[in-house]
Amino acid sequence: MGFFSGLSAEKYDRQYSDQKLFSRIFDYFKLQIRYLIIIASTIVIRSIIEAFSPVIVAKGLDMVTQESITIDFILTISGIIFGLGILSWISNLLRRRYSVKTIAELTQQLATDAFKASMHQDLSFHDNFSSGKIVSRITSDTREFSQLITLSTDVIMQLISSIILAVILIQTEWRLAIAVFLLIPLLFYLVKRYRHIARKVTREGMRAMANVNSTIKETVSGIAIAKNFRQEKTIFEEFEEANQTSFEVNIKRGFILSIVFPVLRTIGGIATALMVYFGAVTVTEGLVSAGAWYLFLSTLDRFLYPVMSLSSFWTQVQTGLSAAERIFALIDAKHSVKQSGSIKPDELDGRIDMRQVNFSYTQNEPVLRDFSLLITPGETLALVGHTGAGKTSIGRLITRFYEFQEGEILIDGIDIRKFDLVALHRKMGIVSQVPFLFSGTIEENIRYGRPDCYLQEIINIGKKIGEGEWLNTLPNGLKTQVGERGSQLSMGQRQLVALMRVLIQKPSIFILDEATASIDPFTEKQIQAALDLILSETTSILIAHRLSTVRSADRILVMQEGDIIEEGNHTELLKQGQYYAELYNTYFRHQSLAYVDETKKYQNNRGTAG
Amino acid sequence: MAVIGAVSNAALASIVPIFIGRAFNEIILPEPSLPIIGRYALIIGFSQIVRGMLQFARNFGFEIIAQNIEKFVRQELYINLLGKSMTFHNLQSVGDLMARSTNDVREVNYMFSPGVNLVFGSLNFLFIPLIVGPTYHIALIATPAAFIILYIFALWHYLKILNPITSQVRQTFGNLNSRLVEAIDGVEIVKASAQENGEIARFEKNAIDYRDASTKQGYIESRFLPLLLLGIAMATGLAHALFLFQEGQILMGDIIAYFGTLSLLGFPTFISLFAYSQISLGFAGARRIIELLKTENKLDQNKEGYDHTIAGNIEFNHVSFGYTDDEPILKDVNLTIKPGQTVAIVGQTGSGKTSLVKLINRTFDVHSGEIFVDHVNVRDWYLEALRNQISIIEQDVFLFSRSIAENIAFGKPNSTREEIIQAAKEAQAHDFIMSFEKGYETVIGERGTTLSGGQRQRLALARAFLTSPKILILDDSTSAIDSKTEDRIQQAIFRAAEGRTTLIITHRLSQIRWADLIVVMRQGEIMSIGKHEDLMRNSKSYQRIFSE
Repeated sequence: MGFFSGLSAEKYDRQYSDQKLFSRIFDYFKLQIRYLIIIASTIVIRSIIEAFSPVIVAKGLDMVTQESITIDFILTISGIIFGLGILSWISNLLRRRYSVKTIAELTQQLATDAFKASMHQDLSFHDNFSSGKIVSRITSDTREFSQLITLSTDVIMQLISSIILAVILIQTEWRLAIAVFLLIPLLFYLVKRYRHIARKVTREGMRAMANVNSTIKETVSGIAIAKNFRQEKTIFEEFEEANQTSFEVNIKRGFILSIVFPVLRTIGGIATALMVYFGAVTVTEGLVSAGAWYLFLSTLDRFLYPVMSLSSFWTQVQTGLSAAERIFALIDAKHSVKQSGSIKPDELDGRIDMRQVNFSYTQNEPVLRDFSLLITPGETLALVGHTGAGKTSIGRLITRFYEFQEGEILIDGIDIRKFDLVALHRKMGIVSQVPFLFSGTIEENIRYGRPDCYLQEIINIGKKIGEGEWLNTLPNGLKTQVGERGSQLSMGQRQLVALMRVLIQKPSIFILDEATASIDPFTEKQIQAALDLILSETTSILIAHRLSTVRSADRILVMQEGDIIEEGNHTELLKQGQYYAELYNTYFRHQSLAYVDETKKYQNNRGTAG
Repeated sequence: MAVIGAVSNAALASIVPIFIGRAFNEIILPEPSLPIIGRYALIIGFSQIVRGMLQFARNFGFEIIAQNIEKFVRQELYINLLGKSMTFHNLQSVGDLMARSTNDVREVNYMFSPGVNLVFGSLNFLFIPLIVGPTYHIALIATPAAFIILYIFALWHYLKILNPITSQVRQTFGNLNSRLVEAIDGVEIVKASAQENGEIARFEKNAIDYRDASTKQGYIESRFLPLLLLGIAMATGLAHALFLFQEGQILMGDIIAYFGTLSLLGFPTFISLFAYSQISLGFAGARRIIELLKTENKLDQNKEGYDHTIAGNIEFNHVSFGYTDDEPILKDVNLTIKPGQTVAIVGQTGSGKTSLVKLINRTFDVHSGEIFVDHVNVRDWYLEALRNQISIIEQDVFLFSRSIAENIAFGKPNSTREEIIQAAKEAQAHDFIMSFEKGYETVIGERGTTLSGGQRQRLALARAFLTSPKILILDDSTSAIDSKTEDRIQQAIFRAAEGRTTLIITHRLSQIRWADLIVVMRQGEIMSIGKHEDLMRNSKSYQRIFSE
């Protein structure tokens, strides 16, 4: 498991059996099989070269004396070394090239598949799981998994060349060989211990760093306040403390990290020294040749580093595999909305019929019970009620963003489950509570649902809203950049763009979950104008928070705990003096002009507040 | 310590091949002496222990340098940020400042350790064969010398072609990632607009761009020439040594020693694959930090300036202003406010409301024209005296992650609990504070996430009550969901406006209706100005907002 495994677990995660996991992985690798074969063969070639060059030099040493050496011999042996050098470079080039290519392709395929899956997931899925984590699965996990290839090729290469060398060493002198191999478990143990400690200090270091980051973030964001109240010193002290702590922790971490290579070095050096002496002893006793002795000396180091990579290999493989598991879990996550047909409506009248619908987000917590509602074509319906009354859920069911458990929803008399959802959504205009814009220009955002729409059409519709004044107040008109998520625009402007997006789409059914944020009175009037344009032409369902929206509805439904408890228009309902009247006093009264006159009392009652 | 470690590391490393060579010379003698070989072995062993210690000293030394640099740079940067004007902070996004003070500072750290550490350490290895070679035979200098020259050229060339590709990789990944984040966050609108397939196609295109860029980078990295040079150097070096051996100029052990020292060239060759990019990342980070440090701070303190109690008269005289020179935010604004007046400023976003009020306490300075407070130009005021008496409550009220009491007392840290509670009561905040389990000791989550906008605003008002400013500026764009909260906010604001000059940027019709003066702004200019009755008579757009 990786450093922080467990932290990133999600409900849709599943445990794949090894067999299943490997067969899934294999499916992806299969596409890369040609490259993988090339990589594998270059690895083998390279490990053989790695293992044989010291052997060749050592054998050469044994074969010559000053008297017997010939030019041919010199040219042959250095020719071999030269050839091996070039071969090694070429095989390294091929290996790197193809593993980079394989990694890049694999990452791209996995990421695209994962993205595709998450785009097709229901909204309930996206509501339940944070977007940040989904994104990290699509980008980091895919990369981490693909890195397994580099990792494995490196380790396999080192392993093969170590094994070849080991065989040669044993054949040359088995006693010396065993002495060399005795080093391995010792190193293994040391490296394991070390990794344990290193992991701990690294984690501490990250934590300290996170602390510095959050301190900086908070104080930088609060800098205006600090300056207004001349409190720069206080926040500086706070920062200074976090910075000092991070420094101390990181020095400790640096100490631990600085220690590993010198220790390995020293062990390698002592081993070399021992080998020089005891090797020489065996040479003088005639057990091995001087060349063999040299071979042992020059290959000692080659057992040192594979131990390092091997000891971390398994953990990294685990990390890579759990990354793969996370990606597949995202790809395989079950959809809750299921369609049984694929009707593509050309036009909709907009008649919506909900029959005895039962709906709940989680079991045992019903939101709608036996809920029935008929909306006639062209009607404007407003839903009002306290939070949790089920208003938003009705919108979500009609858009088929969520699956209902029982009953029927018919649109133009056709079961909603029989539609092709993409085609159905084309006929619906949906504005959610927080209008979401993509970075780009206003024009791009408006034509998002209908990329082929003519510019003139956008301008014409835009001019119908408050004589187009909202366009004039934008610095670059339709070409104004909206910034990330529309951050360059005010909430009111974002809503206007979202409404324009729907207007361009010319939907048959319009669903608005009204924003609760306040908007300057001038923009508010323009939003009302845009709404009037839509409402006159479509069947509309408004989850209303503004008094003016409620008033413009043909029919108001007052909802409570999933039931309709009152029905009628604004004047009738207010006259009845029951639920709607109470809601009016709670949510809408302060938006009325009558209230504005009333607030004068607070000014007159000065001094009695508190 | 670090430097000694680096130089001696290479020197001590060369002891191994040198003494192995000597041992070899000894062993091929007809009568090899084991004690002599033993002595060589001891030298090797001992030198490597010393080398290990020195190497540690080098690594840790560089680590300490790097950490000190990180700490120091971050501290400098932070002090510098605190000293910057608000013009600067308004233009700079928090995210960008964060990136510079965390990631970039970290890159500078990494540049020293492992970056410079490894480059410095490995460069010494380049010179070992150059020094050791000639001790056997002067001609043996040829191969290492040629290698060094070619190595430098090859590396220079490599880095030159690699750099543009790495930035391309970063950029394509940036594109991929930002669109991905948006698509996932905005999945509802994607579905509502039936654009799932459009987004998938876009993602695939971005992913392919990224794939192609990183493949290209990999190709360049795979053609790393110094590695080939190393192989060639080893072979020519060996051939050269063997020829000299044939001519009887050097011994067999010398070949071994020479060949061994040549293989030390491998270290700098492999290291340069990544150490140089680490260093160039560090340089880029350092450049961004310096850029930030160099941005000037325009406002001066003016300590000798005017320092009196403010009565509350404010006057704008032909004021123009913009964050950058080519984009004016305010154009020729004239406005007079009498002491104790409540002024409502209305207009669409981007009409210049916020900029207008922030000029009064010199959060920003005017481009042309003058602003007077109590008939004294704000530039002639002692800045601290001016700011202490003017309180600005921003639209997005910032609260520190401390207790509510500390947040209220932020401007006056030594206030008593009674004063704090009194202020909270006046701001209509006492009741909701007491509804929390820990009351005034409740610690606020970062950026005040646990409180609603209306609640945060009332805490800010309490802050203002405590410092009792002469001029109160309120950017009141919060919305109240229910009428009861609205009542509370109304009461608190009316109470706050009492007895002081108050400027309210507001969306609330009630505040506009009852203000002493209403300023309607549009695109940086004052469109109309007057009392409610005047505007209802004269302004068409004003009439529209008061129609039902």
